[in-house]
Amino acid sequence: MMKSPVYGLLLLLALILPPAANLLESIMITHMHMQMPLLVISGLFMAKFFQNRFPGFFSKWNENGVPGLLLFSIIMVYWSLPRTMDEALTLTSVEVFKFISLPFLAGVPLRDSWPKLSSFWKHALIIFFTILFLALGWLYIWSPVQLCNNYLVIEQITLGWGFISTAFAMVVYLIYSYFMDFSKYE
Amino acid sequence: METVIKQSGKTQVFKDKANKVMGISLEDAKLTKSYLSVAFLAILLGGILGLLQGLNRAGMLELPAWLNYYQVLTAHGLLLVVVLSAFFTIGYFYAGLSHTLGGLLPKVRKMAWIGFWMKVFGFVLAVIPILMNEASVMYTFYPPMAASPVFYIGLVFIVLGVWMCAFGSFINVASWRKKNPGQHIPILSFFATGVFVLLFFGSIPVAIEVFTIIPWAFGWVETINVMVARTLFWAFGHTLVNIWYLTAVSAWYVIVPKVIGGRRWNDLLTRIVVIALVIMNITGGFHHQIIDPGISEPVKYMHVFMSLAIGFPSLMTAYAMFAVFERTARKKGGRGLVGWYKKLPWGDVRFLAPFIAMAAFIPAGAGGIVQSTNQLNQVVHNTMWIVGHFHLTLGMSVVMTFFGLSYWLIPYVSKRVLTPQINKLGVIQTIIWTLGMIIMSGAMHWVGLLGSPRRTSYSTYFDNATALSWDPYLFFLAIGGTLLMIGVLMQVYAVFYLMFFAPKGNTEFPIAEVEEDEAPTPRWTERWGLWVVCMIVLVGMAYVIPLVDFIVNAPPGSPPYKTW
Ligand code: HEM
Ligand SMILES: [Cu+2]
Repeated sequence: MMKSPVYGLLLLLALILPPAANLLESIMITHMHMQMPLLVISGLFMAKFFQNRFPGFFSKWNENGVPGLLLFSIIMVYWSLPRTMDEALTLTSVEVFKFISLPFLAGVPLRDSWPKLSSFWKHALIIFFTILFLALGWLYIWSPVQLCNNYLVIEQITLGWGFISTAFAMVVYLIYSYFMDFSKYE
Repeated sequence: METVIKQSGKTQVFKDKANKVMGISLEDAKLTKSYLSVAFLAILLGGILGLLQGLNRAGMLELPAWLNYYQVLTAHGLLLVVVLSAFFTIGYFYAGLSHTLGGLLPKVRKMAWIGFWMKVFGFVLAVIPILMNEASVMYTFYPPMAASPVFYIGLVFIVLGVWMCAFGSFINVASWRKKNPGQHIPILSFFATGVFVLLFFGSIPVAIEVFTIIPWAFGWVETINVMVARTLFWAFGHTLVNIWYLTAVSAWYVIVPKVIGGRRWNDLLTRIVVIALVIMNITGGFHHQIIDPGISEPVKYMHVFMSLAIGFPSLMTAYAMFAVFERTARKKGGRGLVGWYKKLPWGDVRFLAPFIAMAAFIPAGAGGIVQSTNQLNQVVHNTMWIVGHFHLTLGMSVVMTFFGLSYWLIPYVSKRVLTPQINKLGVIQTIIWTLGMIIMSGAMHWVGLLGSPRRTSYSTYFDNATALSWDPYLFFLAIGGTLLMIGVLMQVYAVFYLMFFAPKGNTEFPIAEVEEDEAPTPRWTERWGLWVVCMIVLVGMAYVIPLVDFIVNAPPGSPPYKTW
């Protein structure tokens, strides 16, 4: 039954391996839109372990799911800044913080919060990230200067369009769930 | 031969009683009949043009100056790739929606009619410049070759017409879900939803492409970004191919098991195959650009991987089909390791044609894997091999499935029955078509390996020895093409006989039931919004990097060229 945390841990370890980390970090868009989401996903898988281990902690501090949601959002916003990505590449301590914060402070709380959240909060989260991604897309595409020391302007523009297309996907989802009341099918 | 198929079991619940007793409503039937008539007229015309090409390539026929090889080729491609497949797919799935959802909504029927006339109008607009030799750009129509603007305006109407039908189907399915809360969309409508989702999202790139081409073709802008246009085209072109494939697959999973008196494959796995094909499809487009310049090696490598991923649901399908056949044959008393196959109804064209179609997908799929491989693609790119490949995939796997469907679908919509004579005609037609395609596409594959280019009118290249060595193969191409033409005539005769002259009677829509002891299908399979989001994210992953590169680092654009 406790298989999924093991898979999550294996995924995390694989992502930490220097060749894998270097490969994904060598391109700006795969750094932010591949490595980071995969780190969060590894956390989603590992969440069960912590929930079983510390049930009291989660029920006390994350009763209605909103605190976990906030923690997740703060971590995600922090890692969408150009500055933090740059630092992860230059300062080892920040790189270590990335590999810890994304799985354990974003992935785990998200998994714990999601089933507890009302559909209002779920949609609020998606709307928030849609707006954030549009703004970031705008920033990365039309910024007149190079934002990261480690990445060229062309990579920055590519990442910007990555944000816009992800935001588009979320907009499609929001429209769909607005028209389709899924509670009838659950 | 029995043409009336008995219905029983679970899916009964889903069906409108009236639909069962009286068959399809006259209005819904008329819609499907019109779509299918256009489809089969397209195959008649397209077949004639195909034969002209085949005879020309074999050096046996010189085309007159007013109808040159490239005009014929453009029309052949458009008629068969766009008209035949779009009209058949829509006609078939709209009959399926009508049957499984208890009739089309009046609003939806109207949308499908508007879509019908938009497509016909668009097609007429596109054909006029082809006939005037103003649009010999082939069905792939991407720059730098430029046709008359009228040609592209015609294409816009075709796309809009397709969107009408896509939205019509979404509306019908959504309304059914509202009336039947908590139930699964009936399996054939599930396939239809997948197909129309792909039709809609797959045609967005081509719409963007055409909108950038039109001002360029008019001369309002001077140049166009060729790489972007080609990429947008193939995002669509490749998806379109897989739409027909998914249509054929729907018949294999849902219809064929019923025709042989069996039950269908596991419902959950079937739905997973549909979902996987929908999510992973569009990104396959790049395998048509393996030797294009301007795409970096890592991106090409990623795309080979994405293309081959589609092979997985295809392999699941192959497994599922043979499992269903064996299970059914054994229930009927089939014995032995392979002896069970004798129990299958080989004399029934509704089984024989789709069966051969499936079997043809084995070499066709293998050829596809060959072409997705970088080094092997270099050998066969733009040779006759490619033409052989898609006559196998489309001309056999897909079209023969369509043929097999027509022997009950047309009687069903025209409230007639399949007679034993027409069944026999169908069996003979199937054999002729099989032989014709094997000979023609075999010759095409082979002569392609020897270097014969595709899309090239007959030439000996000043009696060059290599070019002369192609001749024997090209001769076989002509023989195969002639057989196929006979097959086309038989098929079109059967279609219109069944539509207007066959004896009146009741033909049922054959939809197989699931096995009785099957576990219920989980609800998450119905989350189409999520699948669409996954699809968009995957498309973003595949296309954002190369497209930004093409646009930001664009080489000088290309002016329009008329090479003919
Ligand atoms: C009577 C049957 C048919 C014959 C004799 C035939 C023959 C040919 C020939 C000789 C070519 C030209 C190759 C070249 O020069 O590149 C061709 C191209 C093509 N055929 Fe067929 N074909 C037949 C049926 C079909 C069917 C049923 C389909 C698809 C549903 C199809 C789709 C195509 C396409 C897409 C092309 C490529 C056009 C292009 O390169 O622009 N054909 N066919
Ligand atoms: Cu393709």
